[in-house]
Amino acid sequence: MKELLTLEGVGFVYHTPDGETVAVDGLSFTVKEGEFVSVIGPSGCGKTTLLGLMSGLLSPTEGKITFSGGEKPGYMLQRDELFPWRTIRKNVLLPLEIKKKLTKENAEYADSLFEKYGLADFKEQYPDRLSGGMRQRVALIRTLVFKPEVLLLDEPFSALDYQTRLSVCEDVYNIIRRENKTTVLVTHDISEAISVSDRILMLTPRPARVKKVYTLDFKEESPLKRRKNPRFREWFEILWRDLNE
Amino acid sequence: MNKQGYSAGHVAYLKKRRRSAVAVNVARVAILAGVLGAWELMYRLGVIDGFIFSAPSRIFATLGGLFASGEIYLHIGITLYETLAGFAIATVAGSAVALALWWNEKLRKILDPYIVVLNSLPKIALGPIIIIWFGSGTRAIIVMAVLIAVVVTTITMLGAFLETDADKTLLMRSMGATKVQILTKLVIPSSLAGFINMLKINIGMSWIGSIMGEYLVSKAGIGYLIVYGGQVFRLDLVYASTLILLALAAGMYALVSLAEKLIVGKNRI
Repeated sequence: MKELLTLEGVGFVYHTPDGETVAVDGLSFTVKEGEFVSVIGPSGCGKTTLLGLMSGLLSPTEGKITFSGGEKPGYMLQRDELFPWRTIRKNVLLPLEIKKKLTKENAEYADSLFEKYGLADFKEQYPDRLSGGMRQRVALIRTLVFKPEVLLLDEPFSALDYQTRLSVCEDVYNIIRRENKTTVLVTHDISEAISVSDRILMLTPRPARVKKVYTLDFKEESPLKRRKNPRFREWFEILWRDLNE
Repeated sequence: MNKQGYSAGHVAYLKKRRRSAVAVNVARVAILAGVLGAWELMYRLGVIDGFIFSAPSRIFATLGGLFASGEIYLHIGITLYETLAGFAIATVAGSAVALALWWNEKLRKILDPYIVVLNSLPKIALGPIIIIWFGSGTRAIIVMAVLIAVVVTTITMLGAFLETDADKTLLMRSMGATKVQILTKLVIPSSLAGFINMLKINIGMSWIGSIMGEYLVSKAGIGYLIVYGGQVFRLDLVYASTLILLALAAGMYALVSLAEKLIVGKNRI
């Protein structure tokens, strides 16, 4: 498999008037094409900083990040961040407007995504009419619309209640698989990481280094099916133990 | 069950609500009628001196005279012109300055103490300078109105711009948005509520500016009438002019509120 995103000895230092904080230190990791990778670690360990580095919003103070895909990675945040003054459709077209790629074909592609993922009836509505789960699905479509090869998800389900979280996670996972996207998910939820990932990257407390990488042995099962698989508990115990070690 | 299919409890609730709304309106009218009635009565009974305190009947007679002679339209027109010109210039200039300060963080830091000082300065103190620079006509009064409104406009709009959601800005940047795109597609639309707030503050400020300006230097306008009435001890004229001012200010506020409804309804903020 092609290596899509490579981090070599990446370090990142935050400077504030009170001093400097090493957020990431000597981190090397590779994301391969079509992979679903989750990043977990103790809270405040620099997971979000890592995502910022992968997206190119932050430049590493040390080391090198190589991205061999075409379009810049698509970013999905904790909250949907839909603009309340735009209709659902206009929200989804926003990245195309910004990239000056709002062509007829691309708009049709957006419409086809609405169609495919059961949101066509809500296209002309405003975000405040939609439930939290639906809004997060719209946010995903907004990320898919400019056809990025890599998706970066920053705890995209953590603002949802537990029931919704499970079903939206299931939806999002299926959509990502169907669209065949390479994905990096940052989460503090071990079970969520196990339910969706091919590989899990565990970070140390700050400064973030790679503590361990796990390759999961589920065979293409959806998150809800994985949660019922006996291996799920075993993986949970391994990760829980290692994380608190 | 009644004709709408509501339960008896709900019908009782609706009735209670309606009755309470009626009671509020009745009380409002009663206060006004009571105050005016008592005032008029005390005047008629000779408890208060009509020369100093005037009376509703005298005020309305004066109002009638002002409108009958047609002279009042000139005064209304001039004051409206000054207020609206001050309002428009302050809104545009203040928003433009706020935009520049949002755009350039360095500039914002450098100018911050100046804005704080200008904001706390009572602008009326600049009256003599304004008269010397801009003469004693409507121009000086408009300048006064602008000065009073423009600093508040700048501060309110800058606050609204800076309140733009940080995560939404991050999202825009992750899409590769330029600063202009962030401004036009995110910062300005999300500052619309702040903009309307600013309009509401500004309209009041512009009234203060134009009337103060007319107190200082003027040959016509509602503020001029009030000052003139005071100087020649025609309290009827003072009250009547104040009443007209009240109606104008209320009307303008109603227009801004209407604009707010239209904009908010259209933009979902």
